[in-house]
Amino acid sequence: MPGPTELNEDGGDAGSTLESGRGDPRPDGGTTEGAADPWSRSGSALSTVVGRPVLVAVVSVVVAFLTVPVLVTFVSSFARSASGVLPQGFVTFDHWLKVLGFGERGVRTNAIPGLAFSLAIATGGMVLNVVVGVPVAYALARYDFYARNWVNTFAILPLVPGLILGIAFVQTYPEHGRSALGLIAGYCLLKSPYMVLTVQSSFQSMDLVRLEESARSLGASWPRTFLTIIVPHAKRGIVAGCIITWTLAAAEFNFTYMVASGSPDPFAIFLYRNISNATHLQSAAAVSVYFAIVVAAILGLQLLGNRGFSTAQR
Amino acid sequence: MSVRESASASVRRAATLASTTVRPTTERERERRRIAVLCLPFFALALVAGFVPLAMLARISLVEDPIWIEGWSLGAWETLATTAEYRWVAWNTLWFVGLATGVSVALGVAVAHVLEKYDLPGERLVVAAVSFPIALPGIIVAYLIIVLLGRQGLVTNAVAVATGGAPLDLATATAITGLFLGYVYSLLPRATMVLRGTYAEVNTQAEEAARTLGASRWQTFYHVTLPEVRPGIVAAAILTFRSGLAIFGTVLILQSHRVVTLQIHHETSVGSYNPDVAAAIGIVYVVFIVAFTFVGLRFVDDDAVEI
Repeated sequence: MPGPTELNEDGGDAGSTLESGRGDPRPDGGTTEGAADPWSRSGSALSTVVGRPVLVAVVSVVVAFLTVPVLVTFVSSFARSASGVLPQGFVTFDHWLKVLGFGERGVRTNAIPGLAFSLAIATGGMVLNVVVGVPVAYALARYDFYARNWVNTFAILPLVPGLILGIAFVQTYPEHGRSALGLIAGYCLLKSPYMVLTVQSSFQSMDLVRLEESARSLGASWPRTFLTIIVPHAKRGIVAGCIITWTLAAAEFNFTYMVASGSPDPFAIFLYRNISNATHLQSAAAVSVYFAIVVAAILGLQLLGNRGFSTAQR
Repeated sequence: MSVRESASASVRRAATLASTTVRPTTERERERRRIAVLCLPFFALALVAGFVPLAMLARISLVEDPIWIEGWSLGAWETLATTAEYRWVAWNTLWFVGLATGVSVALGVAVAHVLEKYDLPGERLVVAAVSFPIALPGIIVAYLIIVLLGRQGLVTNAVAVATGGAPLDLATATAITGLFLGYVYSLLPRATMVLRGTYAEVNTQAEEAARTLGASRWQTFYHVTLPEVRPGIVAAAILTFRSGLAIFGTVLILQSHRVVTLQIHHETSVGSYNPDVAAAIGIVYVVFIVAFTFVGLRFVDDDAVEI
């Protein structure tokens, strides 16, 4: 798409800068003349001259706003002190060791059991998501049925916020709601849209009808066709969905905060404790642990040829 | 009489449908059974983990004794309807999230436009930078805002050095601007994602024609591109607004604006334990989100829907 248009626009840019350099009597994008003849003299219109620089500047600010704090957090987690204008005293691993529970002045107990617990729960939610999400994604991609649109909307829109689900969970299942099982079920429901969308887009790129019919005509039963032909063909989509749901479940805070009982601490609560009452640099290290997980997930997704956390249907 | 007849007829039809689904004889009935079997796990989970807890929430909002969950009363709903504070919280939430949505979608249009129309160096890096924050939960966003605007924050220190002021006075992380930037940090990547999908489908020939006929860039954008991406903008606004309403971690850490999620948290905290009022707020909140999403998406092309 950035082909001929690009050339045209660049040409227009060059012409207009020359013109304004020479001191064109009409100011750029002048109101009276522009209104009288709005579709001509675009070479000197205000948007043609400044549009591109302004937009590029806006996007640069946006990108800086989104990335600079992440980078600073990661870098300063290796700093010794943050008392000055910029963090100083590189490189030390004290904060990382303290966060991971290996520090010599480990005030808090070892963080590894909590981390392992949380990672196990996220894995449980991920497995349950495969069981729940893949069939419904197949039904939505392959069949046209009554109320299909409603099922689709329910499956791909996370309609209940995690906070409300957490409160409702604790009240409904007072004994089991706070257990690992409750957390797994909650994570699975909250993150299932990502699994359904990812697997669905993988199914949509396959010729499902022909695949299914050739397997059936060779004598496979329908359940066997589904389990041994269809599901393995969508393997990449399923793995991508697994990575996304796992990463998002590992740090789901709103639900965990309401539900978790505190022994052992899930990862999200561990992050919360480290952010709300710890030194600045120790928080930086704790947050960086999660950055490391996300970066690993993104690299895994790229290896699979997935575009990242975007779950667009196309 | 006729009502009863039609009711019994529909019951009979549903019974036939159920029995043929369980024990199919024709290929069509077998297909229906397959669809039912495929959808069953999802709806079993949704029932156990979603619908039953929500029904319980509705029940709790109607209890007389909120500690033991007994009896029936409309007390919580009366409190909710008559106390001015709750209306104030609702209004706070709506304007704040609405403003954050507007800013995020406007910036998202700019980012999507630049990514799609311009040939920038490092385009993949820009894409990575704007999609990375989708995986960051609210508490981490709050921490990143503290990194930028807190007492030891980057921007705070830069401004302090430039103006000679004290960083303590300049820190705005726990002021409302800090929270606003936190909301934009969470919402902007989501808006951009939806808009990039829409922009990829814009018909560039019409734009080229407009440019050739002498329209300026702004005129081309306003008269040609904008109408084409308008469904995407509406979809982005709906989905962004919905996710903005659900933000909790950021506001829990920064605590500078009373939005509805923070209010629910207050109602369930130890100091002021009102589970019935919290449940009532929760029901209103969920009903609002669902209604808003469904009504909004009715006006949008189905294909534009993404998470």
